Amino acid sequence: MITKTLTVTNKLGIHARPAGLIVDTTSQMKSDVTFIFDGTRANAKSILNVMMLAVPPGSEIEVEIEGDDEEETFQKLEQLFHDNFNEEPA
Amino acid sequence: MTISTKNPPKAPRYVINGLATSPGYALGRVHKVAAREVTIVEEDIPEERVNAELHLFQTTLDKTFKEITKIKEATLERVGANEARIFDSHLMILKDPMLTGSVLKIIKDKRKSLRWALHTTITGLITQFEQIKNEMMQERAMDLRDLYNRIFSILDDSAPVSATHLDEPVIYVGHELSPSLLMGIKPGEVLAFATDSGGRTSHTSILARAMQVPSVSGLRNISALAQEGALIIVDGTLGLVILNPNESDISEFRGKQDVYLQQQRELFTMRQLEPMTRDGKFITLHANIELPIEADKVQDYGATGIGLYRSEFLFFGHSLPSLEEQREAYNHILNELAPCPVTIRTLDAGGDKLVSEISVLNESNPFMGWRSIRVCLDRVDIFHEQLKALLTANEKGNLRILLPMISGLHELRQAKAHIRACQEELEQEGHKIPHVEVGIMIEVPAAVMQVEQLAKEADFFSIGTNDLIQFTLAVDRTNEMIADMFEPHHPAILNMIYMTVVAAHKEGIPVAVCGEMSADPFSILLLIGLGVDELSMTPWSIMEAKKIIRSINYEDVNEIALHALKLDDAESVNAYLHQRYAQSIADLGINSYVPTKKK
Repeated sequence: MITKTLTVTNKLGIHARPAGLIVDTTSQMKSDVTFIFDGTRANAKSILNVMMLAVPPGSEIEVEIEGDDEEETFQKLEQLFHDNFNEEPA
Repeated sequence: MTISTKNPPKAPRYVINGLATSPGYALGRVHKVAAREVTIVEEDIPEERVNAELHLFQTTLDKTFKEITKIKEATLERVGANEARIFDSHLMILKDPMLTGSVLKIIKDKRKSLRWALHTTITGLITQFEQIKNEMMQERAMDLRDLYNRIFSILDDSAPVSATHLDEPVIYVGHELSPSLLMGIKPGEVLAFATDSGGRTSHTSILARAMQVPSVSGLRNISALAQEGALIIVDGTLGLVILNPNESDISEFRGKQDVYLQQQRELFTMRQLEPMTRDGKFITLHANIELPIEADKVQDYGATGIGLYRSEFLFFGHSLPSLEEQREAYNHILNELAPCPVTIRTLDAGGDKLVSEISVLNESNPFMGWRSIRVCLDRVDIFHEQLKALLTANEKGNLRILLPMISGLHELRQAKAHIRACQEELEQEGHKIPHVEVGIMIEVPAAVMQVEQLAKEADFFSIGTNDLIQFTLAVDRTNEMIADMFEPHHPAILNMIYMTVVAAHKEGIPVAVCGEMSADPFSILLLIGLGVDELSMTPWSIMEAKKIIRSINYEDVNEIALHALKLDDAESVNAYLHQRYAQSIADLGINSYVPTKKK
C-alpha cells in the first residue's frame, strides 16, 4: 500500500466535474483508492463519495492506494491534480 | 380531439395567477408529474426471496441504464451536448458503489425488500447532499431525485417520462419538471405545462416555447391543488390557470382559443409577405433564441435570420462546455439557417446570469460588476475556446459575432485582436476561415457617447434596450419602489437610439434592436421612425411586428419619432403615440393578445 498527499490547486475545488474525472481514472485501475480529507474517508471510485467530501481549493488530501497497479494509479491521479483537472488554477 | 368536460360535481374551482412563459390556450386533463407520493413501507423479506430481489435489482439497473442512455442520445440530437451531459452524471451515479453497495447490503444483511433498500439509500444520499454547504453540491440533490423517480417508475413498470399510456394528450402539472422528464416527452403528448416554480428561462418554459405549447410558471401551489385527471384551463397568454373550470369558463376559453387560433392562422398566411412599410421601406425581422433547437422553427414564423443567440445558455450546465460541444451547437444553428445571417453573442455571463464555474458571487453591484465582455477579456482561455468554436462552426459563412457590453473603443479593439489571433491560429492549423462580421451591443451609455468612433470599427450595432434603459435612467426595474421609472419611451432613451442610428448610417452599417422593446407595438413605431434597420424578437412576435410594419408609412412614423425626441417625458411620448396610433393598432386586432410592457 502507498500513502501520499495531493494538493487541490484548481480554482473551484473538487466539484462535480473533477469528481467525474477522478472516478473515470480510478475505475479503470485495479487498485483500491481511498481519499482522506478532514478525517473523512472516501472511496475514490464513487462519484457520490468523492463529491460529498466537498474538498475546497487549496486543500491537501491524503491518498491511500492498494493493489497490483498502485504506482501507475498514483501517477495518473497525480497528473490529474497537477493539471488542475483541466481547469483554471486557483 | 374531444375531451369530456364533465367534472365530479364538488371539485372546487380555482383561478391561479402565474407567469406567462409560452403563449396560447389549452384545455385538458391534469397529468401530475410531482415527486413520487407513493409511500414506500419498510418490508422484511424471507431468506428465500433475497435472490429474487437481487436479481430484480440487477434487471432494474440494466433497464434504467438503457433508458438514460436513450434519453441522453435523444437529448444530444434534439438539444445539444451540454444538456446531454447531465445524463452522464446520472449514469455514473447509477453505477456508483456507494449506491449499489448500500442497496445490496440492505437486501442481503437486513433482509429488506428492494423497494425499501432503494428508497432509504437514495433519500439518505439526497439528505446528505442537501446538507453540504456548497451550492453546486446541493444542486446534485436534484439529480438524485430525478434518478429516484426514474428507477421507481421502471420498477413499477410505469412510463415515467412519457404519457404514452394515456389515451389523450394531457397538461403536465408539477412543482418543477426535471430535464430528463421534459426530454422524454414527445410532441403531441402534451397540451400545455403548468408548474409551481420557474421563470421564463427555466427548462420547462424554454421547451414549451420550442414545442409551441402554452406554459404558465410560478403558480406556487398548483401541484398540490390539482388532482390527476382533473380538468384545467391553461392561459399562456395572460399567465393564469383555471382548475376545475365551470361551464362559463369553458365557453369563454373556447371563444378565446378560437380567436387565438384564427389570429395564428391569419398571421401564418403573412409568413411569405415582405416586412415592408406602405411606402416601401424594408425592415429586417430576426429571431432571438436561447437554445439551438429553437433555430429549427424560426423560419416558420417568418424570421429571415437570427438576430440574437444568447450563447450563455450553453454555459449554464454542470460544467463549462467543451470546444467541440460549442462547435456542434453553433454549427447546428448556422447550418439550419444558412444562407440567412446568424448573430451569435459571445458569453454574456454575470449580472443576474451566473455561470457556476466562472461567476464570482457576492459582488456588491453585479450589474456593474465583472460580467460579460469583461469576463471574456480576463478569462482569455474561455474566450478563445468560444471564438475558435464559432470560427470553425461557420462552414457556410453566415456567422455574425456580437460582442456584449462594450463600453469603449479599447474593449472592441482588444476583442477584435483576440478574434484575429484565433483566426490566424486556426488558419495555421489548415482550417479555412470565412470572413466574419463583428458587431457590438450598444447597451452602456458610454458607448453611445463614443458611437461615432465605434461605428468606424464595428460591422454592425445591436441595441440592448433593457440594459441601456437601466444604465441611462439609473433604474433597477426589479426594485419595486422605482420599477415604474423604467420607461422605454423616455426621451433620453429615444435620443440615444437616434444618435446611434445617425452615427451608424453615416458609416454605412446597420442598427438592430434586440431587447424587449422590439416586440412592443408602440415601440416598433418609434424604433422604425428613428431609422432602426433590424428588429429581433421572440419568434412568435415576428408576425405581429410584420403586420404592424405593413400597415404604416415610414414617412409618418419618422415624423412622429422625431417629434417624440423633443417631448418632455415618457408620459407625453406615450400620450402622443396613443393619440396618433391607438386606433390603428386596435384595428389590427393586436392589443388583444400582445401584452404591452407599459402600464
